Amino acid sequence: MEISFDKYSLIIDGKRVFIKSGAFHYFRTPGYEMALDRFMKMKAGGYNTVDIYFNWNYHSQKQGEYDFTGVKDVRKVLQAAKETGLFIIARPGPFINGEVNAGGLPFWLLKMEDVIPRNRIGTEYRYSEKYMRYIEEWYDNIIPIIRDFDNVILFQIENEYATDTMEEDYMRTLYKMARDKGITCPIFHNDAYFAGLWADVVDIYALDLYPYINPNQNWKQDNFCFDTLDNVEDIFRNAKENSPPFIAEMQSGWFDKWDGSGYKHIRDALGDEHINIMTKTALSQGVTLFNHYMVAGGTSWDDLACDEVYTSYEFTAPIDEFGIPQSNFFKAKEINYFLDSFDFTSTDPVPFEFSQENIYTKLRHDNINNCDWLFVRNMNKNTADLEFEFGNVYLKPYDMKICPVNLKLKGCEIEFSDVEIFARLFDEDEEVLFMIADKNAQIRLKQHGIISGDRKDFDNLTFENQGKRTQFVFLTKHLADKSWMLKDKLIFNADYVLPNGAAALERNGDVAYYDLKHKFAKKYCVVNEFKDYHKPEIIENFDIDFCAPEIDLHYDYSNWRKIGSETDSLSCGLYDEFVWYKGQIPDNLEEITLSARHLFAVYINGKEVLNRNSYKIEKLQEVPETISIPLDKHILSEDINELTILVQNLGFDKGFSGDTNSPRGLVTFETRPQVPVEFYVCEKLSIERGDLRESDNPYLTKITVNFDIDFKNDVFFAKYLSLENFWYRRATIFLNGVKIGRYIKRTRVQDKFYLINEFLKPHNTLEIVIWEKDRNIKSPWGFKSDMKNVIIQIGTQKMYQLFK
Amino acid sequence: MVVVPEFLIRRVYKKGSLKKLENGASLELKNVLGPGFISGFNFVKINDVVFEPKDVKFITGGKELAGDCVSEAEPVAFRLGQEGLLIMSGKDCVVQGTNKIVIEVMNPEAGKVQLTVDDTV
Repeated sequence: MEISFDKYSLIIDGKRVFIKSGAFHYFRTPGYEMALDRFMKMKAGGYNTVDIYFNWNYHSQKQGEYDFTGVKDVRKVLQAAKETGLFIIARPGPFINGEVNAGGLPFWLLKMEDVIPRNRIGTEYRYSEKYMRYIEEWYDNIIPIIRDFDNVILFQIENEYATDTMEEDYMRTLYKMARDKGITCPIFHNDAYFAGLWADVVDIYALDLYPYINPNQNWKQDNFCFDTLDNVEDIFRNAKENSPPFIAEMQSGWFDKWDGSGYKHIRDALGDEHINIMTKTALSQGVTLFNHYMVAGGTSWDDLACDEVYTSYEFTAPIDEFGIPQSNFFKAKEINYFLDSFDFTSTDPVPFEFSQENIYTKLRHDNINNCDWLFVRNMNKNTADLEFEFGNVYLKPYDMKICPVNLKLKGCEIEFSDVEIFARLFDEDEEVLFMIADKNAQIRLKQHGIISGDRKDFDNLTFENQGKRTQFVFLTKHLADKSWMLKDKLIFNADYVLPNGAAALERNGDVAYYDLKHKFAKKYCVVNEFKDYHKPEIIENFDIDFCAPEIDLHYDYSNWRKIGSETDSLSCGLYDEFVWYKGQIPDNLEEITLSARHLFAVYINGKEVLNRNSYKIEKLQEVPETISIPLDKHILSEDINELTILVQNLGFDKGFSGDTNSPRGLVTFETRPQVPVEFYVCEKLSIERGDLRESDNPYLTKITVNFDIDFKNDVFFAKYLSLENFWYRRATIFLNGVKIGRYIKRTRVQDKFYLINEFLKPHNTLEIVIWEKDRNIKSPWGFKSDMKNVIIQIGTQKMYQLFK
Repeated sequence: MVVVPEFLIRRVYKKGSLKKLENGASLELKNVLGPGFISGFNFVKINDVVFEPKDVKFITGGKELAGDCVSEAEPVAFRLGQEGLLIMSGKDCVVQGTNKIVIEVMNPEAGKVQLTVDDTV
């Protein structure tokens, strides 16, 4: 594939192509089948490209070792994209951010001598030869895989990178490395500061844009958040004259944090207006490459998440974490289909003046369709009926439209329309324009006058001119959401479709088809497999076991590793979420003082003396916490006392505004009077290490649930575990031995966990390890007895039957 | 600390805008970075003289705001391209020649943002 570009667009094999991309995290949506599912939905929704971060850390858990097998087989992911007919934007970092642990840098690299992650400390540039050698190792592993796929059209180096002095040697070396290793497509970087950074180093200048990053902000009220987007064409032109405007990350959702407000709040706040405004405003600024970040939400299973985010990385993406298309997907689909209907790859701004409060306008000349397009946005809380020289535009609050001006069609000419075009099917002599009915809007046709947009589904009008025909078919918004364009046909009344033409339905219904040759056809589809699946099932039979033998007095830890005075997890080379520390302390201690990240508990002689959540962020900064525990003879009951500390690390910093190598685990430990304590360490929970001995203590308790899944051909389903009525403080969830979730009651941000399809089997085991505080445990027996009443639910988020 | 390179933050300061006032100083800012909010003025320091938020006045968008009235609960919008005048009062601070200016503000998304520039009077 030959890829070039000019100031308008990317040119693939000599043809201009509008890049409609969506970001997808294969590591958060693991496995070929799940990737294929999301890619097919993307393709059916009109995307032609998938943007893929390659997560170095995910593939390299140990120095010198790279794993591209099983769910980590990234070749299969790229193969799925190729099979679906999607181009690929490859972003292998080395740093990726993406709210992944350590921003995607391998843990083993973070505290290595002479390695300075990203060649910077804060914003100060510090070049590290050794760091560069490890990047070369990563590139040597990942680039040959990327290179094998000829549908890779763009390659990114680094991500959101800047330093105070902007020395170029790091970025230039990355560029050269990529070229030397066989990358032939254009190379870009993603500038988070939209300041033209690295424009001279790369082939195409690109930036990211997130006008809404504070869920407490009301973007509708503070609508100036689009200021940068409204002027982005100037930024592109000033940065690099001859490269096409490329928004490498264009907001289509936002991530939530441990101390956040929950994804429902963000989804409600953004609605489908936000993606509409973002995308159409970008088009109004001449953007011909965009990447919706994210197109599909995912799950930060295992230890994928950075400390900031919880398990769900739903991101309020057009396709949610469960793989279900949402209302912003339908809005994106509308725009994607419009872009498939009229080639937008070469447009120029036309001087145009219009001034009214909270109204944004832009006029562009279309060099390919030889017409103009008027872009109008209403940021008022009331509807707007705006009068332009071309005609009136009716807009709902926070709506934006693209209105054709003097658009010549086969059988007629649109002088002006504020009825929006949904999709177009055409051949040499005939075309059908599917329009979104709008009772307050109209189409003005040359010689034919005005057509009202007040229409019902499938109302249609035909115009002919010199043997050629244009038909307008109207669809209500509701039907448009359920209408799908696949190459040369439209499919109506499907919840979603797949590129092979299969229609997915949740309920019985008439699916209609239209193509130019056969016109309309209809098929009644009976969904008879599903019962009342919306009601989650309360699990009544489960086993309860105490599962932390490490805490028990006289636990044999002789095979654990002895560490020195530096106890933090990076210094110990322990990167797992859970790290155990064991040692002995004499009976004359008055106090121990410690600091640990993030959640931890201290046990002496098998009894808890402290259990603490030390995770605190204020003004975007970690708040360090040091705690002293007074000791007495009741606690130190033996001559030599056994000390156990369990620390849960919620992840390393993602590295955007903090340091990826901030300490985790047991950060500091002191005693009064000061005595040396020899610590022995081990990582992971006992069930992960295969140590299945039942313990005497109740602090960590495992609930084991078995359930079956009835897999059926041609049925898509997404299942979840609900801890909505769970009364315990913390839990870690394992599905068939794979860690799939972290639950912390205090934050209340997530109590529903996706049972990731990739890890489901016909017979499943779900293990929920509860880490409870001593004060909530009256006695081991009583605690076990109470646990029998715990409410755990397994439910089905959605189910669709596929009809071919 | 937010990782916005200093050279970008410095662009917000309008070079040559520092003026000596009777018992104070004034300077001008222009937001060339991107739309956002200021959720607090931590301090302004000119040479060795530190001005607390209560001694700082920010005039922008037709409004005059006392520095200590700007907070996370009452942030002030600072649009792309918007200009603002900072007036510091209560102490003499500007000297003939080169003056070192440090302005530290809070942003809800970026946290602490510090601007350090030299300006000549």
